[in-house]
Amino acid sequence: MTAGTPVAPAPVAPGVTRRRVRLQVSRRRPGRRLVVNLVGLLVFVVIVFPVYWMISTAFKPGHDILAYTPQWIPLHPTVSNFSNAIHRPYFWDDVVNSLIIVGSVVALSLVLAFLAALALAKFRFYGRKAFIVLIIVIQMIPLNALIIPLYIYFSGVNLTNSLIGVIVTYMIFVLPFTVWTLRGFLLGVPRELEEAAMVDGSTRFGAFVRILLPLVGPGLVATSIFAFIQAWNEFIIAYVFLSDPDKQTVGVWLALFTTQRGTDWGPLMAGATLTALPVVAFFLLVHRRIAFGLTAGAVRG
Amino acid sequence: MSERFPAVPAPLALPPRRRLRADRLAGRLAPYALVLPTAAVIGAVLGYPLYLLVKLSLEKYDLPQVIARRGVWIGFANYTKVLADPEFWHVVVRTIVFTAVNVGLTMALGTLLALLLAALGRFMRVLLTTGLVLVWAMPVVVSVNIWLWMVDYEFGVVNWTLTRLHIGHFTHHDWFVSPWSGWAIITAVVVWGAIPFVAITIYAGLTQVPQELVEAASIDGAGGWRVFRDITFPILRPIFIILTSLSIIWDFQVFNQVWLMRDQRPSSDYYLMSVYSFVESFKISHYGLGSAIALIMVATMLVVSFFYVRQMVRIGEVR
Amino acid sequence: MKARYLAAACVVAALAVIGSTASAQSTGGTTAAATKIRIWLMTDAQSNWPQTVAAATAAFKKKHPAVEVSVEYQTWGNHLTKFDASLAGGDVPDVIELGNTETSKYMAAGAFTALSPKKYPNSKTWLRGLYDSCRFNGKTYCVPYYAGARAVIYRKDLYRQAGIKGTPNSLDAFVADGKKLMKKYGSDSNFSALYFPGKYWYAAMSFVYDYGGRIATFKGGKWHGALSSKQAIGALTKVKSVVHALSRASKTGDEGTPQQALVFAKGHVASFIGNGWEWPYALDPKVGNPSLAPNMGAYPMPSHIKGRYMPTFLGGSDLGIPISSKNKGLAADWIKAFTSTKSQRQLATAGKVIPNTTTLANINKGDPQLAPFAKAAKYSWFVPTSPNWVNVENANVLQNMLVSIVTGRSSVKSAATKASSQIGTILNTAG
Repeated sequence: MTAGTPVAPAPVAPGVTRRRVRLQVSRRRPGRRLVVNLVGLLVFVVIVFPVYWMISTAFKPGHDILAYTPQWIPLHPTVSNFSNAIHRPYFWDDVVNSLIIVGSVVALSLVLAFLAALALAKFRFYGRKAFIVLIIVIQMIPLNALIIPLYIYFSGVNLTNSLIGVIVTYMIFVLPFTVWTLRGFLLGVPRELEEAAMVDGSTRFGAFVRILLPLVGPGLVATSIFAFIQAWNEFIIAYVFLSDPDKQTVGVWLALFTTQRGTDWGPLMAGATLTALPVVAFFLLVHRRIAFGLTAGAVRG
Repeated sequence: MSERFPAVPAPLALPPRRRLRADRLAGRLAPYALVLPTAAVIGAVLGYPLYLLVKLSLEKYDLPQVIARRGVWIGFANYTKVLADPEFWHVVVRTIVFTAVNVGLTMALGTLLALLLAALGRFMRVLLTTGLVLVWAMPVVVSVNIWLWMVDYEFGVVNWTLTRLHIGHFTHHDWFVSPWSGWAIITAVVVWGAIPFVAITIYAGLTQVPQELVEAASIDGAGGWRVFRDITFPILRPIFIILTSLSIIWDFQVFNQVWLMRDQRPSSDYYLMSVYSFVESFKISHYGLGSAIALIMVATMLVVSFFYVRQMVRIGEVR
Repeated sequence: MKARYLAAACVVAALAVIGSTASAQSTGGTTAAATKIRIWLMTDAQSNWPQTVAAATAAFKKKHPAVEVSVEYQTWGNHLTKFDASLAGGDVPDVIELGNTETSKYMAAGAFTALSPKKYPNSKTWLRGLYDSCRFNGKTYCVPYYAGARAVIYRKDLYRQAGIKGTPNSLDAFVADGKKLMKKYGSDSNFSALYFPGKYWYAAMSFVYDYGGRIATFKGGKWHGALSSKQAIGALTKVKSVVHALSRASKTGDEGTPQQALVFAKGHVASFIGNGWEWPYALDPKVGNPSLAPNMGAYPMPSHIKGRYMPTFLGGSDLGIPISSKNKGLAADWIKAFTSTKSQRQLATAGKVIPNTTTLANINKGDPQLAPFAKAAKYSWFVPTSPNWVNVENANVLQNMLVSIVTGRSSVKSAATKASSQIGTILNTAG
């Protein structure tokens, strides 16, 4: 993030400074904090309203869902939609499949992308620019256009109806972005930090792992959430590639709530609420790392 | 330098000149080894299908060819057919305008949200971020359906609320009669879904802006906007460039929201390049033509985002 | 130097993981001892008559105990995408359900294997309208599965209170009755005498066929769009006046969103044109209003000619065997089990749909919820049997035409003429 500025002050543990700043701010303008928080609350309500609507619909009995006068709060809350959704065929199979796919995609993408980002950020080598352009251009290829070619290819190598096929396909769409982002974060780390670490006696790779890895913490978190959500919610590839009913994913499962007779709204919203939970849980696990970019004790420039 | 070889026993220690060369060789090969796994996966999965995609665009590949599993070579006929169609150019313009509007709104609102997040107290920040993640996590199918409901002709919350607030007579207002209001709704859905990622990423970048600089500037009397423009923005510039280019690339390819909001049967007023390609391929079964449109789309994206892509490649070149 | 080794180690590890799991997956799949047949049915079967499917599979297994049957449910929005991909990749299902307006395209492209009807149950009495969607160039390529017809579903109590006796026997009487309803209840802004969304082409085209028009005709080896004919324009003008006088539904929406039976269940609609299954759906305790049960009825939509019924669109599905299937004999046996008389009887009663054979007509007559639809099904129309018809549907030609007519954006004549020439072009596109 400091690329381009002539003076490159080394980032400090923000916790310390921010506390200081916050105290000063609140001492100076006590009312301001309240206003800001109120604005935050208002923004929260407006942005999250559709999500709220999804959750509240999940608790409404069917005939209250389509109503001329909207029911802001369910007047007759029920959990029947949730039990309906959970008891649909293959629900747990699909959840397990999705977890396997998502776990593999996130883990593999982070490892591979971190290595590649290291190369792109810290080394100069022949073909670097070409590789950078390549991973940008790959993201420009529309997924829908690749459905038939991918299927022909995977069918030829016997990987249709297999979670592996879906996993590697998802990685194609997650890797470029992840490499990019991690490269961006890595570029923001001043060289002095690396060199300081190496003077301290570590190997170059050791320096990478000990110093850079924590510094790109926010990048790893943001990209892992991105990868998680992409893999968790994807539909068309999973639908076309996977045939066996017990090999489907959560994305496909949600689509089966719509028949020719319309959509089962209550159970669909219940199903969607349930399937959103793992993402939120994952996020809550890792969200602290977004704020902490650094370990304490980094050298101050 | 000797620290690099901490555990080499004396008899195996190489003479200094050889060690330097081996060292340099290792240094020169290291980046390739690091990049290899990613390149291998991308190449293995995407190589042949990309070749097939290009091949399809140069062939007539309709349903009979799909069943026979071989296409008929027609050279650039698909491309000339598409480029000669005036309707196609309307679609291109519509896609570019749509992308520009969406990217602009997403980046502006996302940045404002990130600044808000930085200024909030800890509890509100976690609450708002969790809300943003919930929005981000919603599958497109579900979020589009919620929005459709909200603007539904009969049962929509939006119509009901606007009428109650006496903003106008919105009972039985149909938001999709006029393509302008229809596109406004679609834009709202797309931007709403795109903001969380942008806001959270910019916020992550903001946490790395040295507070002393901000402090110093505001002590010197600079207002919020100047602090942002002169201190924060330059530091975050690489992130902005990356996010803008990614937004351009993603918004150019928006498909699901338009498709689902128009009930999987959009009229030509609602065609974007992605929709046009999909309809030609999967609805009319002209896979060759659909593939050509998709590749023209890639080319257009390259042209439109060229400036940003060049910036992206250049980031870090100063080092 | 360590960087290189570590990187190499990572590569090896990753490839090993991928390699071992890949081989585990593929060997798991291909060394199955038994044969396996794959059946693609739509989600409707899973939701509405899963026991029928299970019974058919059980009957099949009695004949072929060693064969594994995998029933895979597909979604209406994307099943053709998946089918095309499977055709391109060479691993097709053994039995596939297609909508009866989708079969033409696939038959013409040679996707299905020809069947001899006499090997299948009740083939001599197959519902004519449905059977036609399985025939191409004199050969039969699929088996009729089930059909649906539309009739007017109405509120007896609202009719009574508006002073309507019985049900109208002509279109003019229908409109007059509708106006009586609007006069009595029209002050409720949500009330419609006939709920008719603008894009509801199945109902609108019934008017066209009733007045002697058609969507397209085949003459001299070419298709000609026929909506520009005098009769068609007259019919469409009538549709416009009916919609304006009797309906408050969205002029740019269709009958599925929101589902019209559920709107009816809210109590502000006197009648709508719906399928047989929409009657019990409006009464579904989970989503509808069961208290309406004693006041609901149905009658075939009357023609503009007194005493006749307006032709109704005969929807439905067929079952085909893809030509590259490796288990054609087994697939045929499964279809036979699934379309047996017993199976069809169960399907009709559980799903409130019309079975594929007229021999079961007595089920229809006996059930007051099915009888009006079976009556209506006797006078039916179907879309032009061109392989390119699906493209007309996908290009939304009819929906766009109707929307511009009922919203007043174009005159009836210009909208119909435009649609007519579009249809002609699309239908004549060389495959």
